[in-house]
Amino acid sequence: MQLPVQAVQALQVLVVLVAAPFVSGAIAHIEARIQGRRGPRVLQPYYDIAKLFSKETLLPQDASWFFLAAPVIAFTSFLVVPMLIPVLTDFPLPLGYMGDIMGGGLVLALGGFSLALAAVGTGDPYAQLGSSRAMTFGALIEPSVLFVVFAVALITTTDLPYAMAAVDRSSLAQAIRPAHLFAAVAFFLVVLSDTGRIPVETHVSTLELGMIDEARGFEHSGPAFALLKWGAAVKQLVLYVILVDVFSAPWGLAGSRRLGPVLLAIPILLGKALGAGALFALIDNSFSKLRLYKITEFMASAFALSAVAVLVLYLGSG
Amino acid sequence: MLPSLVASVPTPPSIFAGATEALAVLVLFTVFAMLREALLRSQVKLYALQSLAVCALAAVLGASQHARDLYALAVLSFVLKVVLVPAIVLHLLGEAEVDLAGSHRFGVATMVLAGIVVSGFGFVALGNVHLGLAGSGGLPVAVLGVAMATVLVSFVLAMFRSDVVSQAVGFFSMENGVSVASLVFAARMPLILEVSFLFDLLVAALAFGVIMRAHHRRAASLSTETLDQLRG
Repeated sequence: MQLPVQAVQALQVLVVLVAAPFVSGAIAHIEARIQGRRGPRVLQPYYDIAKLFSKETLLPQDASWFFLAAPVIAFTSFLVVPMLIPVLTDFPLPLGYMGDIMGGGLVLALGGFSLALAAVGTGDPYAQLGSSRAMTFGALIEPSVLFVVFAVALITTTDLPYAMAAVDRSSLAQAIRPAHLFAAVAFFLVVLSDTGRIPVETHVSTLELGMIDEARGFEHSGPAFALLKWGAAVKQLVLYVILVDVFSAPWGLAGSRRLGPVLLAIPILLGKALGAGALFALIDNSFSKLRLYKITEFMASAFALSAVAVLVLYLGSG
Repeated sequence: MLPSLVASVPTPPSIFAGATEALAVLVLFTVFAMLREALLRSQVKLYALQSLAVCALAAVLGASQHARDLYALAVLSFVLKVVLVPAIVLHLLGEAEVDLAGSHRFGVATMVLAGIVVSGFGFVALGNVHLGLAGSGGLPVAVLGVAMATVLVSFVLAMFRSDVVSQAVGFFSMENGVSVASLVFAARMPLILEVSFLFDLLVAALAFGVIMRAHHRRAASLSTETLDQLRG
């Protein structure tokens, strides 16, 4: 049975929306196992989100209307990205041409920006500290993102994520060329930084002075906070999907709109995302967090990787 | 469905070229890692890792060429560069007992940015040279640029850090860069020449060892900031 193209398009977003808390929960579970704990249930994030939706919303005294709008804007922007990237199919769906990799990055950044703006508006010093740091480190990791995009553009002569995935699949020579390998590793480091993982940030920490992303949600409560948490899970899954389906393992995607392959692509996608997540959890537990002023060293490494990926391409080889 | 997604894509290098170039870039990255590494011991271990990548390059080239010389070279440089030289330097460091971490004259990010600039220069300067090496059976010519970048970034390491160990490791990794370059345009160099280069490295290791010990005895430090105390 051929699914209508709109249905596949909607399914891409729906899968990310519904599965994101599951992936977060499963990774938290794996992480607990690595540390020798039993850990929370895999479905715990769903219960947390459901509980928060039934709570009342409390507003800080100085908050403006934007404080309540920000989680919605962020949540929506994170959900726009799955339309642009290969989630279930290896061929571009109509809305896939709505934006390129830069467009996806811009939409993700809009979500982060609105959260930071809302945090600044509350007047809470920790939330302000967090959003100021999030913006600073976001700006510092941006050159690496740009050079990864340059590498993709030089390899594929387009800037569509679908084209990058198709080129990776096309031959082994494409998959192991140094430009692709180093751009993929650089993007891995970008994801490490953007999902608030060690060595940049400890996502389970309760120490406000070390926080970057986590501190931004301090003043939120009730349904808005639920959206914030759900949004964070969605953003994490979206980044994992880009990492596995565009850069490192674009295999197992549906080649047609038939029901069977499309449905089969869902568990494969979740498996790959969980594999990536387990790797992140392993890194989280094998390294220590960098001091705040040492984070630029991490950013410099990511930039060196992506810059060399472009340089080897510039030679006309690589 | 868009059939032309990969239609206009430039052809990638062959699998052999891609794999060897990736290995060569790995050699370059270990120098960047040395720039970042604060602990002197870890720096020496990174040098061992870098040498291992160079040995792997020689071995891969030997396998593709069915050349026994290159296998012998790989084994020899493994014994010398991965085991012996790092062991000597680590032993000397164990005797020194001070200065776990080297001194940074500049911030790590500054050094890495300087490294990116000079490696970019190395790539551009040597990336497009046409040496007529297409049939010579060495590594792909693009590796030459990577080797040049390795040499230049090693210079940055030796210049920007002010301790004897970083400077010795910088010198050694410069030699690794030159070895990679020699695999490009003189892959079938007579073994005796290669061995004499390796012997050179051993002499350099000994010379640096003597400097390290003498300097440490006089100044109780490995920092070259106090090098003028060596004057008689």
